[in-house]
Amino acid sequence: MRSDPLILALPSKGRLMERAGEIFEAAGLTVRKTGHERGYRGEIAGIKGVEIAFLSAAEIAQQLSLGRVHAGITGADLLHESGAVASGRIELLRPLGFGGADVVVAVPECWVDVSSMGDLEEVAAIFTREHSRRLRVATKYINLTRRYFADKGVTGYRIVESLGATEGTVAAGTAELIVDITSTGTTLKANHFKMLDDGLILKSEAMLAKSAKAAWQKDKQTVLEEIVLSLDPDC
Amino acid sequence: MVAESAASYEALQAQDNAITALFQSRDYELVAPAYLQPADLFLDRMGEAIRGRTYVFTDPGGAELCLRPDVTLPACRVYLERTPKSDVEARFCYNGPAFRFQPGGAQAARPREFRQAGIEYIGGADRASADAEVTGLALEAVRSAGLKDCKIRLGDLGLFEALIQGLDIPERWRLRMRHFFWRPPVFHDLLRQLSSAPAAEPGAVEAQLIGALDPGDIETSQSLVAAYLDKAGIPLDGVRSLSEITERLLGRAADASQPPLSAATLRLIEDYLSVSDAPAAALERIAQLTRAGGPDLSTVLQDAHTRLEKLAETGVDLEDATFSAEFGRDLEYYTSHVFQIEMPGQGRAGQIAGGGRYDDLLKSLGAPHEVPAAGSAIHTERLLAAVQGGRA
Repeated sequence: MRSDPLILALPSKGRLMERAGEIFEAAGLTVRKTGHERGYRGEIAGIKGVEIAFLSAAEIAQQLSLGRVHAGITGADLLHESGAVASGRIELLRPLGFGGADVVVAVPECWVDVSSMGDLEEVAAIFTREHSRRLRVATKYINLTRRYFADKGVTGYRIVESLGATEGTVAAGTAELIVDITSTGTTLKANHFKMLDDGLILKSEAMLAKSAKAAWQKDKQTVLEEIVLSLDPDC
Repeated sequence: MVAESAASYEALQAQDNAITALFQSRDYELVAPAYLQPADLFLDRMGEAIRGRTYVFTDPGGAELCLRPDVTLPACRVYLERTPKSDVEARFCYNGPAFRFQPGGAQAARPREFRQAGIEYIGGADRASADAEVTGLALEAVRSAGLKDCKIRLGDLGLFEALIQGLDIPERWRLRMRHFFWRPPVFHDLLRQLSSAPAAEPGAVEAQLIGALDPGDIETSQSLVAAYLDKAGIPLDGVRSLSEITERLLGRAADASQPPLSAATLRLIEDYLSVSDAPAAALERIAQLTRAGGPDLSTVLQDAHTRLEKLAETGVDLEDATFSAEFGRDLEYYTSHVFQIEMPGQGRAGQIAGGGRYDDLLKSLGAPHEVPAAGSAIHTERLLAAVQGGRA
């Protein structure tokens, strides 16, 4: 009887997909699509019992936390944002050395009176009094933002969910500041934002992670170990 | 949560109907505020902390909505819809569900969907009588449901406000104290900071600007900041204005030369917050603390005394109650009287009912002027559990 395969989720598009492909190739693991070229399933040549699922980066974090895939590669930012790392549903196995970017708190450059999270809380208090509403933070990282602001004692704000072009929200008048991901800072700078001195929420990079919620029979554990070992022959 | 059994559903229904009937017999009109509410209203008033406990979602039309985490605010919206001028008194009662996410998972004592039976007395000009009425009626309701041996905890957030108003400190410090009051650990840090080094270390740009500004001349300072931004090619983005930015810089400049919060003031605030005693003794202790030339609390203390008298007239046993200066620090919209009816030693499951005065809320929701208001809510499932537990 053939048992179910280990399902490994890989990014289905963009830089993450390219780099993940390269890293597997360099480790001697050839990933190829099964079925037609535009499909979303694949396998690793020479390793039995593995099925590759090509998914979007955000979906990989979600499927890992639900236990619908066994392991996967996606950004640490998305894994942490899912809340599943903190709750133990996702276990981070190893960073992969690419896709590096920082999730940061950034305010308009014209806020010359603000350089730290402490300033932000004070500004929040004044802003609420002057404008009869809370300071708005635009972000797609709702959970990371809430957790980090709470850690820093900043509470007088509210989140406005932004699913793209977050750096445009302040000019558009829909937010006062942002929490966004940046690799070089160029986009932030070009849009006249500055990062707060203690505004680094997370240093993110592509990460191999496993789901603690998925069904882990012995054979699946063995297959995963084989893959991890190929990716990282030194350990 | 497992589904409730038919028997417990009937018992709860019977209890809630009796409570509603009691409220209605005292001229409280039964209203049914919407379960679905604009998320904005809660987030803007209670901050992001409430989002962590609220079911917030986007509807197919793109509007951000929530399942009401509380019924007071929705009831206030009913009032404003009916009387936009907010010029009449209203007594509302309600009985229905509220919803709160439970981070540790839903349990019997912390359900994510629970029922509240409550009253709101809006527009009553005699505040002490209104406070006593909503408190006394909540107590009467839980007692007539069969609750015995419950205790009352009282507090008054107006006293803290009067205390800091009376301190000889810069207005911007008062603003911070008020803002941080709701978060005891952060408030404690603030006091420590103000009493040691009030001026936080400024960043490089700020330091440079702060040095150049003249705190006595707001206009010139403002043009200095404008010139700086202009020269650096930084546009004035967003809704915070140049004057807001400049004023805060000036505040920081002033902090740099401000003597720290005195040891006596620090002790006064800490002593005040630690007061917890029988109501009369607690008020006496607070009067004592502020007697020797400190802030003048006589008006608020007098109000608190009047409220106690009215409470006693309503049949609230004050000998057995506790008054804590700190109580009510986790409920941001209350402004003065706060109370809780609790079963001692039972933790959260023992918090049967609570309420207080919220004089700022209606105006912040759009009333043309301040509207005095007070209310109370009973957690009816906890009440039933406490009554049945007591009987067993």
